[in-house]
Amino acid sequence: MSSLMGTAALMAQPGEAKAAVEWAEHFQKNYRLMTPEEKAEARTRLEKRYSGEYSKKVSVDITEAQPGVLMGYALNIRKCIGCRRCVKACVEENNQSRGARAGERIEWIQVLRMERGEFTADKMNQGYPEGLGIQVGGNAYSPAGQVLEGQYQYTPEAVPEKDATYMPIACMQCEKPPCVKVCPVRTTYREADGPVVIDYNWCIGCKMCMGACPYWARRFNLTTPVLPKEDMNPVTHYLGNRPRMRGVVEKCHWCLQRTRHGRYPACVEVCPVGARKFGNLLDPESEVSKILARKNVFRLKAELNTFPKFFYFYD
Amino acid sequence: MLTRFVFDYARYVLKGGTKFYAWMGTLALLIVGMFYVFYLQNTEGLIVTGMTSQIHDGLYLANLVFLVGVAAGAVTIVFPAYVYHHEGMHKVTVLGEMLAISAVIMVMVFVFAHMGRPDRLWHMVPPWGIYSFSSMLGWDVLVLNGYLILNFVVGFWYLYSKYTGKPVNPKIFMPLVYISIVWALSIHTVTAFLIAVNPARPMWFHSMMPIRFITTAFAAGPALIIIAFLIIRNNTKMWIEDSAIKLLTTIVIWCLGLAIFLTLSEIVIELYARTEHANSLYYLMFGLHGLTALVPWFWSSVVLMVGAFALFMTPKFRNDMKLLPIPCAMAFVGIWIEKGMGLIVPGFIPSPIGEVTEYYPTFVEWVMTLGIWAFGFFILTILLKGAIGILLGEVRFGGAAPAASAAAVH
Amino acid sequence: MKRFAIPAAALALCGAAILSVLAQDKPAAGAAAAAAPAAAASAPAEVICFESRKGASEITKREIQPGLPNVKCSPTTGAALWYSDPYDGTVPMGKMPQMESIPEGLAVVKPRSEKLNLLAQCGTACHNGTYPVGFPKTNRPVPIPTMEALLPDAKNLQHGRGRVWCLDCHHTTKRNMLVDHYGDPISIDQSQLLCGKCHGDKLRDWRDGIHGKRIGDFTSTGKKRWFTCTECHNPHNVQDGARNKGFIQLQPETPPQLPRGFKDAAFEKTHAIPQH
Repeated sequence: MSSLMGTAALMAQPGEAKAAVEWAEHFQKNYRLMTPEEKAEARTRLEKRYSGEYSKKVSVDITEAQPGVLMGYALNIRKCIGCRRCVKACVEENNQSRGARAGERIEWIQVLRMERGEFTADKMNQGYPEGLGIQVGGNAYSPAGQVLEGQYQYTPEAVPEKDATYMPIACMQCEKPPCVKVCPVRTTYREADGPVVIDYNWCIGCKMCMGACPYWARRFNLTTPVLPKEDMNPVTHYLGNRPRMRGVVEKCHWCLQRTRHGRYPACVEVCPVGARKFGNLLDPESEVSKILARKNVFRLKAELNTFPKFFYFYD
Repeated sequence: MLTRFVFDYARYVLKGGTKFYAWMGTLALLIVGMFYVFYLQNTEGLIVTGMTSQIHDGLYLANLVFLVGVAAGAVTIVFPAYVYHHEGMHKVTVLGEMLAISAVIMVMVFVFAHMGRPDRLWHMVPPWGIYSFSSMLGWDVLVLNGYLILNFVVGFWYLYSKYTGKPVNPKIFMPLVYISIVWALSIHTVTAFLIAVNPARPMWFHSMMPIRFITTAFAAGPALIIIAFLIIRNNTKMWIEDSAIKLLTTIVIWCLGLAIFLTLSEIVIELYARTEHANSLYYLMFGLHGLTALVPWFWSSVVLMVGAFALFMTPKFRNDMKLLPIPCAMAFVGIWIEKGMGLIVPGFIPSPIGEVTEYYPTFVEWVMTLGIWAFGFFILTILLKGAIGILLGEVRFGGAAPAASAAAVH
Repeated sequence: MKRFAIPAAALALCGAAILSVLAQDKPAAGAAAAAAPAAAASAPAEVICFESRKGASEITKREIQPGLPNVKCSPTTGAALWYSDPYDGTVPMGKMPQMESIPEGLAVVKPRSEKLNLLAQCGTACHNGTYPVGFPKTNRPVPIPTMEALLPDAKNLQHGRGRVWCLDCHHTTKRNMLVDHYGDPISIDQSQLLCGKCHGDKLRDWRDGIHGKRIGDFTSTGKKRWFTCTECHNPHNVQDGARNKGFIQLQPETPPQLPRGFKDAAFEKTHAIPQH
């Protein structure tokens, strides 16, 4: 039905075409189940709609996964200085909503600021209970080092600060993603080359995936995204950074519009200290494979058996 | 015959006095509010609610979860009536089924309110959509719809048979009843699984959740039914046996006691070692990072639940039909808080990566919640009224039964 | 009247449900309005952003295609946030030991020689027909900058804590080149050959892409722009970035939006469990 509508839309007058395009888009299938012709039609519909909305030529890529590629990511937490440029680069690349009202600004990467830890002599006498053998020492309860507790809203004059370390967190692109398992309409799924993607036109906005993700990687479009025309990145991918709509979930997808053509994701390119590394895990010559071979690597919340392809390392 | 049934049913429901129409009128006003908010949510988006990406399940999911429990609570009438052949219950089973129907409808409307794109719900329905067997939400939708259909069929078949005077075919009817008993347990267990199978949310990720859900459901559901039965006694010609109400009271007391015990054990276990997994419970009980919005809610729910339990234990309140609604209402509200706001919202605080935020429901959200409750009670009143009319014999194929008078009910 | 109540209510219900489902999304408010003042305010000033560290390399923003700029700069810190063409302004890296397997032209760098700020010397200007940066443009006498004025950090050179001095790295006569232990010149565009003499483990990791930065194609056979050592590190001033191994502090970008209902982020600063 949607293909008929799509064909009709492309042949009709602009005014009725817009309405017909919207109806056809509304009734299109789940992306994975589309035939190549239906995908091409969906792409043309979207390109037309976006080009009209943003007054520039927008391309919607539908490149499939390349064979022999399993994307992997490694982040050097010794190097990260917490400058948040990766966060902003991602926003520039991926057409997130960026309004002023609470809930209108979406950023897929969050940088956690952790304190280095402070053990002081004057807290020694604050343990309790007194007199019966101290069960809780005075220096308890202060976080030290790598913890999932800290600040996301830090605003120092300059980073890195002497008493803090930083760790950016975004979608871990798990091999066994809990978000995929709970999706009732199978709109989020793991693509063949590794990233976990979302078909934005199929998402019903039930937010089960957001509840299931142990890394808080997913964001919700609480309203129609606010995306000024001149800030819009016109190079898009259907499963990647094309502008989303109200009521759907979105998240990092390792810049499919770039990586499907062999380019680094935006966050990797912008990191000023080179903490972020990306490559093909199946290629022993890629930097990510070499990191796994040489450096001490760990994953966040590995005990949850999500098997992320986003590794943290230090050297 | 069927159209006459519907027609007579509707005609009976429409006959009412000022009290009836005042009640329905207020509900209708609230329902208008619900539609307006639904319109807002579908144009502006869920930004009109207090939901954020951090706390993305708020009032709507809280009420949804609670109401699934209430719907499951209808089994406390069906089970004694049909399995133990409890005479007093048997006469009013269909009223419990009517409550189940309205509660499930309320749940479905809350689902519509909670979703980002209700216009895409058809994506879940094969063959146009995809049904995912691994998704608990998929199972929840399946069992809820099944429960609705089961109760609808069982309840209205029974009413229809009373209307026409032809008895039901027990070979088909009884298996459906037995299935609905087991199904009631499953709807609430699946709803518990919905949130409990997420290791990302340590507040819910323990095997005590399903049993906690069932006990609170079987305390809140019958409490509401008791109040409804007492209202029916005082405002209609329908007389519900004392034995039925007493049995329901016993069920409430047992389940409330179990629920309190489970809450107590959770508190002890989480707070003994006080790991990071206990942060959500700590937020609920004492506040976290200076954020204490839910603390008064929690403690009032404790007071209400324990207070209700204490009152239920005193014979004066338990046996006096005028005082019984007090502990029932206390238990209902206490469980609503504890299972709704007190379970769903703290599960998201802190976020899985340690961000602590708070949830502030907006006026719009409250209007929608009240509106959906009003919608549910609207339907409940209609269903109960018609059912009572049939049970009393006032609605009968070929005119009212001779014993019943044609005088208008309140 | 009463008998129409229920059908009317049902009709209203259906109508409202259909209406709300068909309701159009509110268009993104103020999108065009917000953009207009910023662009039309003054004559378009040149937007220049820095890459890794201030003073190392800058990019001037321009449009490659309508609606597609070559770089996007941060309005708060002036840092480059996004590259559309990663190879803009690059030259081939040249021969590097242990990197011969990379085909010609697939490893490119931004030339550092453009950042040199030296006056003319016989061999580097005039007699080879070029004018270096800083060459006087008028006939008026200008003060010749001293080493100190050219490079204020030179007085603090703590590289090696007093065991390394200027001519350990810079060629004695060819002042726009670096030098190796044999006394042979190293191009200033290939500073990694010099730095790797002592920082060999970093060089090894840099060659494999683990240390430092590469942008472009992620495939191991793809074209990459490599960032050379001095694009991120300032060798004349290493103790200033002591805690960060030679990388100077930066101003961070803005924090995430506060969730609804919060006026400030004070709640994050208190600890989860009250400290005694």
